Formats: sequence, C-alpha cells, structure tokens
Amino acid sequence: MASGCIGGQETSETKITTVELSGDFLKDAVAIGKVLEENGINEVKFSAWGSGDPNSVMRVHGIVEAARRINKIWEENGVNVKIIITDKHYAAAFQDAYQEYLSKQPLGQAGDFFVNSYAFLPTLADEGYILDITEYANAYKSVIEDFYPSLIEASKFDGKLYGLPQDTEARPLYIRRDVAAKIGFNLEGIEEKVKNGEFTWSDVYQWAKKAKGNGVAEWGLIHRKGSAHPDLIQFIFAFGGKLYNEESKKLVVDVPAIYKWFYVEWKFAQDGLLPEDIMSWDWAKQIHPTIVEGRTLFDIGGTWYWTEWQTKDYYGKEGTPRPIKPDEVQKWFAYTLFPAGEKGLQPVTLSQPFVWMINSKAGQQNPKYEELEEIYHELAFLMIIKASDPDINAIHSVISAHLPVRKAAAKLISDEKWLNDLKSLNLDLDQEVKDNLKDIVATTVHPINAKFLADVSYMLEYTKFAPAHPKYPALADIFKEALDKVLRGEMTPEEGVDYIIQKVNADPELAENVEVIGEIPKDWQFP
Amino acid sequence: MKGEKLRSLSFFLSPMIAMVGIFYLIPLVFTVYISFTKMRNWNTEKYLSEIVGLYNYQRLFHMFQHDPMIRAILLTTVVFVGITLLINVFGGLLLALGTFFINESSASSIRLLWLLPRMSPIAVYSLVWYYFFHGSDIGTLNSILLKLGVVSEPIPWGQITPWGVWSIIIFVNGLVGVSFGMIVFTSALNQIPRELVIAARVDGASAWQISRKILIPMLKWHFLYVLTWQFLSLLTTYPHLFLLVEWDLVNRDYGTTLALYVFNTAFGRGEQDQGLAAAAAVLLSIIGIMGGYVTLKVLQFERMIHEPRGDVE
Repeated sequence: MASGCIGGQETSETKITTVELSGDFLKDAVAIGKVLEENGINEVKFSAWGSGDPNSVMRVHGIVEAARRINKIWEENGVNVKIIITDKHYAAAFQDAYQEYLSKQPLGQAGDFFVNSYAFLPTLADEGYILDITEYANAYKSVIEDFYPSLIEASKFDGKLYGLPQDTEARPLYIRRDVAAKIGFNLEGIEEKVKNGEFTWSDVYQWAKKAKGNGVAEWGLIHRKGSAHPDLIQFIFAFGGKLYNEESKKLVVDVPAIYKWFYVEWKFAQDGLLPEDIMSWDWAKQIHPTIVEGRTLFDIGGTWYWTEWQTKDYYGKEGTPRPIKPDEVQKWFAYTLFPAGEKGLQPVTLSQPFVWMINSKAGQQNPKYEELEEIYHELAFLMIIKASDPDINAIHSVISAHLPVRKAAAKLISDEKWLNDLKSLNLDLDQEVKDNLKDIVATTVHPINAKFLADVSYMLEYTKFAPAHPKYPALADIFKEALDKVLRGEMTPEEGVDYIIQKVNADPELAENVEVIGEIPKDWQFP
Repeated sequence: MKGEKLRSLSFFLSPMIAMVGIFYLIPLVFTVYISFTKMRNWNTEKYLSEIVGLYNYQRLFHMFQHDPMIRAILLTTVVFVGITLLINVFGGLLLALGTFFINESSASSIRLLWLLPRMSPIAVYSLVWYYFFHGSDIGTLNSILLKLGVVSEPIPWGQITPWGVWSIIIFVNGLVGVSFGMIVFTSALNQIPRELVIAARVDGASAWQISRKILIPMLKWHFLYVLTWQFLSLLTTYPHLFLLVEWDLVNRDYGTTLALYVFNTAFGRGEQDQGLAAAAAVLLSIIGIMGGYVTLKVLQFERMIHEPRGDVE
C-alpha cells in the first residue's frame, strides 16, 4: 500500500505485490513484469551459480537464456522491464560450489539460482536456504508432469518440492571391445544378458582375470574414486542391499551387501585385477588415460565420460595426449548396466540428478525487496521453468552426455534436423550463450553421441539414488575410508565392515540416524 | 604522577590492546560460545541462540573414545608438531648462522631460495609436492628412482603408515616454516656488534666456536620467541595438510592433525558442524595455552621481561 498527498488532496494508491500463477507462462510472465513496472522496477538483477564438468556450462547459461526469453516476452508485450544476470559463477567441483553456497547464503552473497546435486538439497531445504516451490509448481502441473517422476521425487524434501531437475545420468559398465576381442569375449547381446541377470560380477571377474592373465590388458577393472561420487555404492544395490529405510527415515548400513561389495573389490585388488591404490589415482593422468588407452577391460564410469573423453586430452598413446574422436569412442567401448552381484538379482545403475534450486533470498539485491519479495520469487520460479525448456535441456544433454530430464527433451535429441541445427548453432539462443557453447558444440554434437544417449536412456528404469538425507555425505565418507583400507589390503572385508560400524557408533548423532542391519554371511563364495 | 603514567601507557598500548581484543580475544570468546550451541551449516539465525550446554564436548569425547581414527590423529599431532618444530627452529638457526659467515650477495640468494616456499601460493606449492611424492610412476621421485634402477616398483610414499606419511607432511611443512626462524635469527645476528666476531676471529676462533660461544648465547631470547611462536603456529596449521589429504597423496588417518580435524569438522563434510568444531578448537586452544606456558616456563621467559637493573625511579 502506498499513500501520499498530491496538490493538497490526499490520495491513496494500492500497488499489487504478488501475482497468482495460472500455469500460462506468457500470461504469468507479463503479469509479473507489469507488477514490477508499476512498482518502478525496470531492471531485475539475478545471479546464477552452477558447477560440474567442463561441458556442463548450460547449468549457468540455461539461466542466461531463460532471462533472454522472458525479456523477449516482456518486450513484445510492452513491459519495460529487463532481467540482467549479473554473476555467472561456474565451479568445476560441485562439492566446493556447495560449500561456498553454504557459507555465503546466510550473508546474502550466494547465487539466486544454484544448480547442484540433489544430495545437498535436504540440508539446504532443512536450513531454509532454498525456496519451497511446491505451490508455484502446482500451477505448472503440465510442465512438471513432463519430467520423469523419479527425478521430481528426488527434488523433494519432506514432501515439498524444492527445485526442478536439471539433468541426470546413468553409470554404465564400460567394456573395451578391442580388449574383449583378443580374449574371445563375445559382446554380442551383452546388454540383454546383464539385464536378465545372467551376466553377474562373477563373470566380470572371470573375464577380467582372463584379460590380465593373457597379457592383453594391464588391469581387469578400473573405477572412480572418492565418496562424493557415489558410483561404488551401486554394489550395495547390485547385491540386493539398501541404504535407506523409508519407514524409520534412517540411513542403513546393510552388512551383508556391504560385505559382498568389499569382498568383490578386495578379490579384484588381491588378484591384481584392480589397482590397490585406485582411490588415490590421479583423474587426468591415471584413471582416464588407462581407460581410453585400453589398458583395462572394464571400467565403472558415468555417461558423461562419453563426451568428456572427446574434449579432454587423455589419449597419449601416440605421443602428445589428445581427445578421442566420436567414432573411436564408439569403436572401442561397449556399455551395459552395472551387473547384478550374483545370479537371481537385478542389474542397477545410479543417478545423481542435478537440480535447479532457488535461493530463499532470491532477488534481494533488487530495490523494494521487502515489498516485492513474493514477485521476485515468482519470477525466479518462472526463470527455472523457462530454463527447463526442452531445447535448453536437450542442448545440455547432447553436449555433456547427461540424460534429459523431460520427455520433450528426449524427443528432441532423437530429431536429426534439430541436431543439425544445434551443430551449426542455428537455434534461437542468446549470442553470449552461442559464443560460450561454440567450441563444445563443435566437438560433441555428433550423431554417435546422440545415439549413445538414446541407447543408455533405458538405464533410468533400473536407476537407484543415494539417500537424500543430511547425514548421508558423512556416511559415504566412511564407506570410502573403509573401502580404501580394504583395497590396499590393510583390512579384510570383515574388518572393513566392522570399521564402518565402529565409525558410525563413534558419532552419537550419526549413530542416531543410522540402522545397522544383517550379519556377515557365512560360507558366501565369490566368484 | 601515577595517573599521568597510566594515561601515557594507555595511549601507547591502546592500539595493541584493541588489536589483541578484536583479533584474538573476541574470536576466542566467540569460539567458546559457539561450542555451547548447536551451530551448523553457518545458520546463525537458526542455531546461534540454541544453547546445548556441554553437548558438543560430550559428543567430542565420545568420538575420541570410540573413533578408531582418533588415536592416529592425536599421535600424528604430537609427532608432526614435535619434529617439524625442531626442524623449523634448528633449521632456521642453522641457515641464519650459515649465511652469516658467507658474503652478503650469496647469503641473500640463499635466503631468498628458502623464502620461496612461503611466497608460493599454497595450492601451487602443495601441487608440486603432490606430483613429487605421488605413489605411482607419475610421481617425480618414483620416476627418478625407477629410471636409475634403484626400485623396480613405484613406492606409495604417502601410504606407508605411519612414517611415510609423517615424513611427507613434516618435510612439506618444514620447508615452509624454516624461513620464519631464518629471518628472525638473521635479523638478530645482524644486531650483534661485528667487533665481537672480528675480535674472536683475530684470536683464532673458528666459525663453530664463534657460533657456540658468542652468537648462540646472544640469540637465546630470539630462540625462545621462534620456538613458542612456531609451536603455536604448528599446532593450528592445516592448509598444506588439508590439500595433501584431500588429494589422497597421504593416508588420511596419519595425515590429519587435530587442527585439520577441527577444520574438516567445521567446513569439510556434507554437514558442516561448527558447534562440534568449536568444541574441538577450544580443546586445541587449551593445549596451545598449556604448551606455550610450559615452553615459556622451561626456558625462563620471565627473566627476559625483568626490569633492567640500575633503573632509577
């Protein structure tokens, strides 16, 4: 409410400071723009923070493009307001970005938009650092319904929606075709065998042993490292274990499944098929070169490896390291789900969706924030709706080999004409965005890469998620420490499991949030 | 007269008192306060007024009793602080004395060389040693030894517990810290009248005799200062250790000191527990205060601050 006295006559003027979202994007955007204009706001400043691998810059540029599209709507509808993205902050390590956000949010210095792993969403939501968008999303049901439901679930905390999925991925088991051919390992129909649970980790072990024994590969298996990358907990799911109890809302230390996981890795390491010190290997100088140069038969990786190998200089067999070409990736690598632990169980994959989150203080750097807070938040919501446009999502997927989060985006990826337009950047995109994507697009937009994405999409039907629990990162850290000791032979698999239980019980808060179930199986055999 | 003295004392001491108050006392009081709250994830609004009494201390002691890693952390703290302190203090003294007896231009170059680690950005400096000590054949040291045929397999230096790990963290931090003692001792040596040294030289004293009989006794208070300062500094240092542990160069258990434990608890995990970290920091401060006090007592610091004899009121 604003009131004043003009020319000696008292006037009273009520200004609207909120808009009821209707679900009609054009109508809502115009209505919000008009409210801003009526309140004397002609410029809205927002900042966008994102993080991840070098090809995932759309996590920030998606917001830049969303701003341009809303600005265009306003311009066409005579609304004299403009959104300006002031800070485009992109960090390579998503954990670092999270820590920076955590420390700067209370100071009001964190980005208005924050793209990061859903794993951090529970803590951010619990602390009140991100916006609850449940009500806004109710108005946009048609858009929300186009997202894959499991990903929308991953963006919730305590039943409320705190973000929109930005991307996801699967973690295939890569198999070197050239190495396999040398040992008579027929990869024909391997995907089906893995799907049916016929090809299990025992088979992986046998072939790995053969590859090493015949001297055709230095290693049988290479995998990722670190606890924040939850690749290895796929073993828990592959052995039929669980990590979270829905009823008690507690994390679970599933002793039999963890023991089997540790035993498998221990066996691989003891037999020289997996480096004992893999957890301290260097990503750029050891892990990726070993895989792309064919010095291993198997690799547990992520879908994003596919384009990362095409943009980074990992292949050094010919002297100066270079990226590998799309046809080389296709020629050298087969990919399947993460096999079942043993016969009778299911294969799995694991996803760690990234989510567009909105700062609960979004828009605070703008004038009249206290009066117009709701409007700024509604506008921020419309921005992430726009940033989820199918083409923006599809561009991100193709150039970074992440899986699309919307059905409409998945459809676009299989459209050859659209891919050609993307290749030549003949799309309606902000010039700044085009400039930033130019090099990545030139390297990664290729029918082979689009086919790869289409091929691995089915894996989402088998996907599992790490628990969205504030204490999970602490537990994952303990898993990593224990596994490292087991791989190095400092502990037996049994001792590794005991170590986890001891560490959990040592912290009363963690112990309160974790259930230990089951016992170490007796007489269990591997392979 | 007394009032005037107090006024002039207050005038001259107030900047120092203000500085100590703002930068040392208030943070200390604040740390103690936070240790009694449930402060986490930087959420001051939500937790700063939530007093939980001794909860964090009880939790900490429970962890100390039951965490299989804590023994390694405490042992590492003792070994790391003890040995690095000796290297920093005696290494600094040795460098200062060594450069005292050679010509100034060579001495300056040597001092500059030893200052380089301190001047390099921490990440760059740590990265150099990361690649140097890397436990595979990409490590410079392993690569040299393999080429020379000294070893047939790369040695995982940072994973040889405990001494392999300790050697690396002590070496890396020792190289950084030694320059501090060198500067203090060099500056002190430059204040010693040259006549004393020249006279001793004329009497046929060797460099060792001059050092032992003249220079070192005159450096006693500087020695005490460097020792105490470096002790407190090493007790609370963590940046280089953090990177070496974070990059998995060294074993986590034996590469973590209490200071790094405090840092990791406050800022390192998915849930950042500043209340618990503050309790650990208070514990660290108590150890620091006690250690500093013992050092000063043993080395009779009070003798240095005695009023000089012969002053007339």
